[in-house]
Amino acid sequence: MSSVEGLVTQIQGRSSTASDVLLLQNLLKQADDSLHSESTRLLPFLDQLDPSMHSLGYLYFLEACTAGPVTKEQASSFVLIIARFISSCVAEQIRLAPDKFMSVCKRFKDQVLLLEEPLRGVAPMLTAIRKLQSSTEHLTTLHPEFLLLCLLAKCYKTGLSILEEDIFDVDQPRDLFLYCYYGGMICIGQKHFLKALELLHNVVTAPMSTINAIAVEAYKKYILVSLIHPGQFSTSLPKYASSVGQRNLKNLCLPYIELANSYGNGKIADLETYVQANKEKFETDNNLGLVKQVVSSMYKRNIQRLTQTYLTLSLQDIANTVQLNSPKEAEMHVLQMIQDGEIYATINQKDGMVRFLEDPEQYKSCEMIERIDSSIQRLMTLSKKLTIMDELMSCEPLYLAKAGRERQRLDFDDFDTVPQRFNI
Amino acid sequence: MEGVEDASNPMMEEMYVNGIGGVDEAPSSSTSTTTRKNRPIISGEQLDIEAYAGLYTGRTKIMRLIFIADHCDNPGMQLEALRMAYDEIKKGENTQLFREVVQKMDGRSGPNYSMDATWCSMVDRKAEQRKEKLENELNAYRTNLIKESIRMGYNDFGDFYYSHGALGDAFKSFIRTRDYCTTSKHIIQMCLSAILVSIEMGQFTHVTSYVSKAEQTPEALDPPTVAKLRCAAGLAHLEAKKYKLAARKFLEVGPELGNLYSEVIAPQDVATYGGLCALASFDRTELKNKVIDNINFRNFLELVPEVRELINDFYSSHYASCLEYLGNLKSNLMLDIHLHDHVETLYDQIRNKALIQYTHPFVSVDMRMMADAFKTSVAGLEKELEALITDNQIQARIDSHNKILYARHADQRNATFQRVLQTGNEFDRDVRAMLLRANLLKHDYNLRASRKL
Amino acid sequence: MDFSVLNERLDSKSFDKIADLCDNLMLQVAAEGVPFQDEWPFVIHLLGHIYVDDINSARFLWKSIPVAIKESQPELVAAWKIGQKLWTRDYAGVYEAIRGFDWTQETQVLVSAFSELYTKRMFELLQSAYSTITIQDAAQFLGMSEEDATNYVLRQGWTVDPASHMLTVTRQAIVREQKLDPGKLQRLTDYVFHLEH
Repeated sequence: MSSVEGLVTQIQGRSSTASDVLLLQNLLKQADDSLHSESTRLLPFLDQLDPSMHSLGYLYFLEACTAGPVTKEQASSFVLIIARFISSCVAEQIRLAPDKFMSVCKRFKDQVLLLEEPLRGVAPMLTAIRKLQSSTEHLTTLHPEFLLLCLLAKCYKTGLSILEEDIFDVDQPRDLFLYCYYGGMICIGQKHFLKALELLHNVVTAPMSTINAIAVEAYKKYILVSLIHPGQFSTSLPKYASSVGQRNLKNLCLPYIELANSYGNGKIADLETYVQANKEKFETDNNLGLVKQVVSSMYKRNIQRLTQTYLTLSLQDIANTVQLNSPKEAEMHVLQMIQDGEIYATINQKDGMVRFLEDPEQYKSCEMIERIDSSIQRLMTLSKKLTIMDELMSCEPLYLAKAGRERQRLDFDDFDTVPQRFNI
Repeated sequence: MEGVEDASNPMMEEMYVNGIGGVDEAPSSSTSTTTRKNRPIISGEQLDIEAYAGLYTGRTKIMRLIFIADHCDNPGMQLEALRMAYDEIKKGENTQLFREVVQKMDGRSGPNYSMDATWCSMVDRKAEQRKEKLENELNAYRTNLIKESIRMGYNDFGDFYYSHGALGDAFKSFIRTRDYCTTSKHIIQMCLSAILVSIEMGQFTHVTSYVSKAEQTPEALDPPTVAKLRCAAGLAHLEAKKYKLAARKFLEVGPELGNLYSEVIAPQDVATYGGLCALASFDRTELKNKVIDNINFRNFLELVPEVRELINDFYSSHYASCLEYLGNLKSNLMLDIHLHDHVETLYDQIRNKALIQYTHPFVSVDMRMMADAFKTSVAGLEKELEALITDNQIQARIDSHNKILYARHADQRNATFQRVLQTGNEFDRDVRAMLLRANLLKHDYNLRASRKL
Repeated sequence: MDFSVLNERLDSKSFDKIADLCDNLMLQVAAEGVPFQDEWPFVIHLLGHIYVDDINSARFLWKSIPVAIKESQPELVAAWKIGQKLWTRDYAGVYEAIRGFDWTQETQVLVSAFSELYTKRMFELLQSAYSTITIQDAAQFLGMSEEDATNYVLRQGWTVDPASHMLTVTRQAIVREQKLDPGKLQRLTDYVFHLEH
């Protein structure tokens, strides 16, 4: 008993300087087991600590408190305590015990979900990520938790904010899988299909030794998004995808592959029949909404094809070719596509004609120069990163040991080095 | 055009004489010879079956007649073809084929063309005896180990089976002679027999392999044999839908062919098959050099003036006339045993080539004029052009409102910018994905390494 | 709950900031565990998304609102009706939805600002998407009577053919800022130089 009180005193006394905090950390580590054994009576002690000053100590106490099973009533009070802790704690201190911090945050998520109030968790979880991560390139295990909360609370836009950051460092493969999968769903919701495709692509092609459910679900959405956005889907995965994925994904998503085949034929009626016949499958996968978007994207695709062929075409002919019921319907489709910047055209109602235009971009404007410049900057940064990684890899003892063993089997040419010209 | 001066060509005379069955004889010898005089056999007019059949001998003659009967919708013509097949079969020994033809005629041509069971059993009985005799002879040769006699024995067997319609056995027998060939002439003979049977069986991969086998024995190849092999190779490519290769082979057939290969092909066929395949697959230069300026092939073309004319029309951009000739020829070409399956494809390709060639030199094309030139409606032409543009065979866009086709010249500068930005984006995306994968691999590797510790 | 900033924005007519403001405020309030939903200005929040043309967010917000609140606030339903019409691209329907409800005073400001903005957006769309259009259709897109619509577009330099009731669109050349930062150009030149040598 006295030990807990003693610990509280230690925490209060040793939280101000960095060296003190390090000492404190050792103490806390040693006391961790006893804290856990007395977890039920720790709660009152939290009042004696200030989360914004005694963050590390507070964290150890909080972690021990929340370790056991929690009732709904308890959850309600814990959620508030943890939310306040997250918002006021000092990043430097909690980063000394990232595992403790992550488990507290995960419990926080569980409790918020237990209360069926995901919205309560969104802001604190984002703060938690910011405090935990060493840089924005670092994918923490809290990223997927945050995205999940965003999805459940329908705060898609808030979710987008962290998806815009490029991540490179990953702690756990599972984090990346879930981050990309949930992220893909958020981007789909906000109709950022290109970004969604990129995220889902990462899941589908990630190295894996056994097939996992996330990859399968991601592959289904990947197929649908490819049809909606670039409008085509290739059934073969790139050669760097895992062999497990290459072998199994297709067979596990056959209705989707069939859908893609039907889409490729360009016949809207066939596609609709197929969707109707397989409606239940898509529904149980929670993909029916996306499938419907696939169907309507086919009209767009067919109209886009016409722009490659025609300079002018009557609305009647457009309606006939893309299987719309009336010229007016065709006009509305064309108008929508102009509005969304998907085609360049003008509608001439007097003659019932559409004139398709070339992309008016002349690549002469200041904006364009800005864009090109920023693109070059970005690529240069990326290239540098690549070079650094390459160098690190070639100095890595593990790699050298493996490469040394396999040298006989490999030609020097097998190693793709970074092209010199990217190193500005 | 140049037919007059070529009429003195010995080959031509021979072909005409044999083909038409005696133009110089009394015109009344056959019901339709009067009108047939100087008339080419393959043309846009209704097929003169008798004259056509006269171009061929052996099994192909019968098979071609049956094919015509199966594929034409004119009952009179059907029966005429069947009657001729009936007569022709009766000269031979194939009772199986006989029964088939009789069944097809179904008594429609009266008692003279009914089932002749006596003949059949007589032929079958004879065949049994002959087979027994051949077997005995072959056994004797084999015990005596006289190579040349064994070869002849197998060869006789091949001929025997072939004439009775047992093509598979015939093929096997001819192939057996291979081990007993002592001269290169024998090998050529073996190859030609194998090719003949394979063509009848429709086994064109065999045809190709025996043609190349024969060509590996150049010392025994005389010009007529070379011509025959070219024809056989051409047919094999045609069947495989390799029209360009087929055209090249037919174009190389020498004048020595004459009607020496009438058990397979007539010189008229060489002109038709070769001409159409060339038109469908050659570019302008190749068409000019290998077809129009090819003196040797021109002689073949003289036999089928309409094909000659349509090739010239195509080359000189008289598409309406070219397409008209093609249209007229079509119904007869559909009755050709080898061309039948390819007529539609070849016609489509020729038409597309013509459309592409027509638009090529222009910045803008009035589609009404173009539709006239191609004997089609503007709407129909629009669909055809749409397909060709979609397929990137014509670089143009259609002004459907004013019915004008405009050539499209992509803006190089803009296209380059577009590509650069796109490549940049792809690089960006790919590198980031790659770094992530590398990270995962490293993680996986570290994990395994730490487990081992 | 402190809505002072929100009210400030509304007063200063900074309507484009409302959506983000409401989003953040909502997350903060929710994190504190305050039962906010009964007092939350959902109408303003929803219209804020609609104002910046973020129909996706408007839709997700609508979906997250408890049924009881939807049922007790007819104005909220009316606001979402606008969103629905935008979602289905029922261009004329948007105006009907705007006019179809007697908005409260504080909402009215935002709704009419949106209405004005939407008319402007529609005009720009018509200008870029049509070369000729009937007066009737133009009036529908702009949410005006045919006479008002005709006058509106004539002022923008379009011409009208009274016989056929057709408007001919005149497109204004868009003047864009072409001043270039010399540093940028220098940098691009450096890249090219680097690549060539």
